[in-house]
Amino acid sequence: MKLAAASIGLFLLSLTANAQDTPRGSVPPPPAGPTPKAADGRPDLSGYWRDDGNAHPHGNIGKDLPGYKLPFTAAGEAAHKYNVEHTVDPESRCLPGGIPREDAGDGGFQLLQVPGNTAFLYQYGTFRLIPTDGRKHPNDPDPTYFGDAIGSWDGNTFVIDSTAFKEANTWADENADPHSDALHTVERWTRSDLGHLHLDLLIEDPKFYKEPIHFQRSWLLSPGRQTRESACTENNIDVFSGHLGPGPGPIRADGTRGYDNPAPLPPPPSASNPARTILPPGVN
Amino acid sequence: MKFRLALFAAVAGLLVSVQQAAAHHSFAAEFDGTKAVRLVGKLTKIEWTNPHSYFYLDVALDSGKVSSWTCEAGAPGTLSRRGFNKGDIKLGDTVVVDGYLAKDGSHTIDARRVTLPDGRIVSGGSAGDGGPEDSATTSKKQ
Repeated sequence: MKLAAASIGLFLLSLTANAQDTPRGSVPPPPAGPTPKAADGRPDLSGYWRDDGNAHPHGNIGKDLPGYKLPFTAAGEAAHKYNVEHTVDPESRCLPGGIPREDAGDGGFQLLQVPGNTAFLYQYGTFRLIPTDGRKHPNDPDPTYFGDAIGSWDGNTFVIDSTAFKEANTWADENADPHSDALHTVERWTRSDLGHLHLDLLIEDPKFYKEPIHFQRSWLLSPGRQTRESACTENNIDVFSGHLGPGPGPIRADGTRGYDNPAPLPPPPSASNPARTILPPGVN
Repeated sequence: MKFRLALFAAVAGLLVSVQQAAAHHSFAAEFDGTKAVRLVGKLTKIEWTNPHSYFYLDVALDSGKVSSWTCEAGAPGTLSRRGFNKGDIKLGDTVVVDGYLAKDGSHTIDARRVTLPDGRIVSGGSAGDGGPEDSATTSKKQ
């Protein structure tokens, strides 16, 4: 009885402490409370934010489009094909995921809002800083993976306007969808209460997409968590050894990348069925 | 008492949520989901590193030959959140690792399921990619 009670207790604790990409419908609620305010009276968006489990398909900028079908131009189709056939996942090469990939992925992030600046700290040691001091985009900004971003407030909505993106060696999402250097994104962030953060994202890229793409999703506050150190090239055997080829791998009918109907694994070892090595035919 | 604590840890580990699915690459891009592999081998090297941990095994085949294999698993923080910690394995231990063969034909698999020396089974691989043992909730003690 004590064992069962303790197990249940640990189960609940583990869900609140560490839940990140949990299956649909099983994400526990975040803490309740009003939207915190910064010293200037605006909403304070600071916190560690985790996927709310409702952004399906994850990692896909077309998730809110019918059939997830992106409105590619001819150049966009060609760029997508090139990504799939020729580019190893840029994040595996330790390049920043950038925007909109980080908005579409389900890694958590830490947001730190201070006077004059808002920082997003992402899972692989990457970050972006959004100045909120009223500056405008520079005349000739250097292209970056996260773009040249400026922040402003529209009532209680934090607006991030980003331009000047790189075009090569970057994917717009987990599925190798492309974006060009003509990309312009407008993000509208709102915090309805203590535990909920919402994004409405507008993706405009007339070079690769015939019309703007709308994307929205939410995150939940995860108290006590913080972004951790991530040394991407510490032991990056996948890339250094060439094990990892180009492309995102299979894209499944549900719009996500991953194994598509993989072969079953052998059943777990047991006393009646002890483990022995099993190799595919022709492998020794 | 120790057994109960170990069991609590195992239960907590298996019920903790999995690594983010927005991984820096899809395991399915690197490993062939049609080629399931089971390795029973002795640990010869262990690397608790970013972006992945690696376990190297000497696998004795029926022919008598000993073959070296590499098992790729999640980063240390990911594994520890599933209850798979550095202290759980040491060089010379025999482990069972189930996964899929690398597409490039090298002796590398993604460590989807790891059976530890103490009988616990943990998920070692990337999550959200639709492979078996995708969720830590399938982990259990035998």
